[in-house]
Amino acid sequence: MNQALLLGRRALRETIRTPESLAPTLLIPLFFLVVNVGQAGKIFPAASTGFLKGQSYAAFQLPSSLLLAASFGTAALYLVEDIEGGYFDKLRAAPIGRTSLVVGRLFAEALKSVLLTAVLVLISLPFGIRIASGFFGFLLLLVLAATWAVTYAGFMQLIALKTRSAAATNSGSLVFFPLLFLTPNFVPRSLLTRPMEIAATFNPVTYIMEGLRSLILGADAVVVLRGFAVVLGLGAVMVVLNVRAVRTYD
Amino acid sequence: MTLAIEAVGLVKTFRSKGGDIEAVRGVDLAVEQGEVFGFLGPNGAGKSTTVRMLTTLLSISSGAARVAGLDVASDPDAVRRKIGVALQEAGLDPRQTGRELVTLQAQLFGLAPAAARDRAQSLLELVDLVDAADRRIKGYSGGMKRRLDLASALVHQPDVLFLDEPTTGLDPASRLTVWDEVRRINAEGTTVFLTTQYLEEADQLCDRLAIIDGGSIVLEGTPGSLKASLRQRRGLDHDPTLDEVFLEATGRTRVRAAGDVEQVHA
Repeated sequence: MNQALLLGRRALRETIRTPESLAPTLLIPLFFLVVNVGQAGKIFPAASTGFLKGQSYAAFQLPSSLLLAASFGTAALYLVEDIEGGYFDKLRAAPIGRTSLVVGRLFAEALKSVLLTAVLVLISLPFGIRIASGFFGFLLLLVLAATWAVTYAGFMQLIALKTRSAAATNSGSLVFFPLLFLTPNFVPRSLLTRPMEIAATFNPVTYIMEGLRSLILGADAVVVLRGFAVVLGLGAVMVVLNVRAVRTYD
Repeated sequence: MTLAIEAVGLVKTFRSKGGDIEAVRGVDLAVEQGEVFGFLGPNGAGKSTTVRMLTTLLSISSGAARVAGLDVASDPDAVRRKIGVALQEAGLDPRQTGRELVTLQAQLFGLAPAAARDRAQSLLELVDLVDAADRRIKGYSGGMKRRLDLASALVHQPDVLFLDEPTTGLDPASRLTVWDEVRRINAEGTTVFLTTQYLEEADQLCDRLAIIDGGSIVLEGTPGSLKASLRQRRGLDHDPTLDEVFLEATGRTRVRAAGDVEQVHA
């Protein structure tokens, strides 16, 4: 664990020293929030749209932006740099637990996501968004988004470990876009067409989005717990696959 | 006495679309403690693959290897505690400072934070990088990176130090500095396993050497004995250079072209 924390601290230092890599993770989700609300906000007035529970459409859209911000997987891009530059081999030749080698970066990704999510929520507050589940709900929202960030970074790290290619790893971040749009992104699942509803039901991102949305619009414990169950399950699978990949890395 | 490095029938096979490629074909090695052992060979001969197997970075397809008395395949973590590794590319993190990199490496080897900082300071002094220690590595020259890589490989005072082409791409002055470091490290009792393409380097530094070609060791001995053997075999009236030993062992020929340019043909 100590080694994972040491490597996590190094990964954080790496992020702080490349602030230019943080800017898109903040600006692009904000861009999507503004554009989506601008396009569909008038269709769903707060006063007459039941699923908004009295809030603006921006509150309904915020989870999409939080998930997008948590899905850049920059940890994996830094890992590819380490692989290509030879530093990863230097670490592998040291007596470091193989789990620490992959978990260290994921620790840093979690912390980064907590900060990024908090900043995005704070920026959203002046637009009339409030976290209906209160301060504890806000903390749960941070944890849920961060756990997704770790899961997705784990998926991209897996690509990095398997392909050792910056181009292939970078393309891994694009996989999130179809996942994001096959969700109840603009309206609740019950209002989707049948084929879209089926696709959304099989998409794990749906449950994390619904969990986040529930924490923003008013907590439904079952929906929140389902979101956590899905993301923790997927996260565990990703960590196991990462550890296996680094153990068999040749 | 336990050998510092021992390999028996070491084989590495890579799978590719065109079939299996045997990069290392039954290498046997016996390196005594305290030696500087040179491992020479042309590009693609299997030098780096052998080093990567010995340093636990690559799995062994067949055969066995022991480093510092420990089995590489069954006890890799224990081997990692006994070895220092400086690979061909000087694998460093360009966003860290030299001091941060060496301190982190020392902590990863189990030193407490204060002890790691002290160890980093003494190693940075040793490789003459104190002035640049708090600058980011991306601004270091090639020679500085090599020296830093060497320092980071020494944080835990390894029994065996693997240096994979440590002077490739360095200017002559930087090369001499690295040679001095290798001699000093070896004088303190560390066994050094050195791969190089520079025969002068092997001549200067190595107690014994092996030449690998096509994945197999084709010649082994002290630089002096290898030269003497070639002189006797060829009936030469002068001492051959290690270049000539190498060319004969690997079946290459040397053609003297115009001026002082020499070309080596496979």
